[in-house]
Amino acid sequence: MSLPLRIEAVIFASDSPVSTRKLRDLVEDAASADIRQALAELQTHYSERGIRLREVAGGWQFRSAPEFANIVRQLWKTRPPKLSRSMLETLAIIAYRQPATRAEIEALRGVKVSSSMVAALQDRGWIKVLGRKEVPGRPHLYGTGKAFLVDFGLNTLGDLPDITELMDHDEIKTITENKKTEAAEESETLET
Amino acid sequence: MTAGVQATETGTGISSSSPAIHLDAFEGPLDVLLHLIREQKMDIFDIPIASLTGQYLEILDAQQPLDLEFAGDYLVMASALTQIKSRMLLPRPELGEDGEAIDPRAELVAQLLAYEQYRTAAEEMNEYARLGRDIFTRSIFPEASEVDRPLPEPDLDGLLLAFRQVLKRVGGEVRHHVFMDTMSVRKQMILVLERLKKGGMLLEELLDRPGREVIVITFLALLELWREQAITVVQEVCFGSISILPKERA
Repeated sequence: MSLPLRIEAVIFASDSPVSTRKLRDLVEDAASADIRQALAELQTHYSERGIRLREVAGGWQFRSAPEFANIVRQLWKTRPPKLSRSMLETLAIIAYRQPATRAEIEALRGVKVSSSMVAALQDRGWIKVLGRKEVPGRPHLYGTGKAFLVDFGLNTLGDLPDITELMDHDEIKTITENKKTEAAEESETLET
Repeated sequence: MTAGVQATETGTGISSSSPAIHLDAFEGPLDVLLHLIREQKMDIFDIPIASLTGQYLEILDAQQPLDLEFAGDYLVMASALTQIKSRMLLPRPELGEDGEAIDPRAELVAQLLAYEQYRTAAEEMNEYARLGRDIFTRSIFPEASEVDRPLPEPDLDGLLLAFRQVLKRVGGEVRHHVFMDTMSVRKQMILVLERLKKGGMLLEELLDRPGREVIVITFLALLELWREQAITVVQEVCFGSISILPKERA
């Protein structure tokens, strides 16, 4: 039986992204390279369809094409709530600077970050507490969660577009008055 | 006050006739400053600080009434701007470690540039095709719940998320309170007086309730009552029984 067809069936039937590893477990006789090849074939096949095959958060999923959003949306009565600018800015800072403390976010935005907003981001699973920073007060360190990748259609954090000129850390240091700021690409916290 | 500042500024091309700016439309003082700088095409590395400060204060002045809680961050920035402005006026420039003159505006500029990057990143992020808004996946149909599906693999993330949702449904924090019915000396004093109304009692009789706490509290109550001279304590012979008598208050 054709490998792409078997993979297609599995991804179609699953209600969450299917990882390549899971696919390998299911179609036991296939090599990883063949699976990758099959996925690429499927992706090309679906590139001109109403649904697309996308790789998100390390898994494969069929998703409706964004150009039909207006039609599909009418299936449901409720519309997704708009995100506030403060929420988006906080999320952007966490996504690019993780791990980041609330104080660092506040320093960068120049305004207080409300607890309710942090909680709202946590509720969506977009951010999560990665640990605590070993400075006085041991503040929480925030990073992005898996739902962030899934909802924003990213495979890994590396898919975030580069910020034109990523922060000069000495400059940030002056602002945040933190003794230690980690390098921007904290590889150990990046999710695979 | 700000009109005076405005008058001394020339060449910025902005006048107080510019449309009223509401702080609600901004995400904080940095956002306001960037708006002013970009709108008037000021050189961010050579900000005309006097002009910027003047306009900023003018915007702040126009907010009536000023909600202090909301405007706190804006006021802090106002004082920072004013301070930079005054440092710019000093005749001798401050020198850094390397002997270079320190631009009092440097820190603010760094802050503005940093903020602008994230502001742009946030705007871009909002444009990503987002699940549930622009992009949709097949969702489970209710009747499919009959299907025996494998349990999802547990991870801390999922657990925390589920727990948060439960908390939300329950309506806030759930705490388990352990109550201990503590006795108060004052209550016990009232109780003792109550019992003594019928006449004097022996100490042993008063300490007849079981439990160490009751005995200690009752004893403390007796001492307290004695001190307040609400009772009389009589012991007729050494090691004899002690009688507690109510004191008749005149």
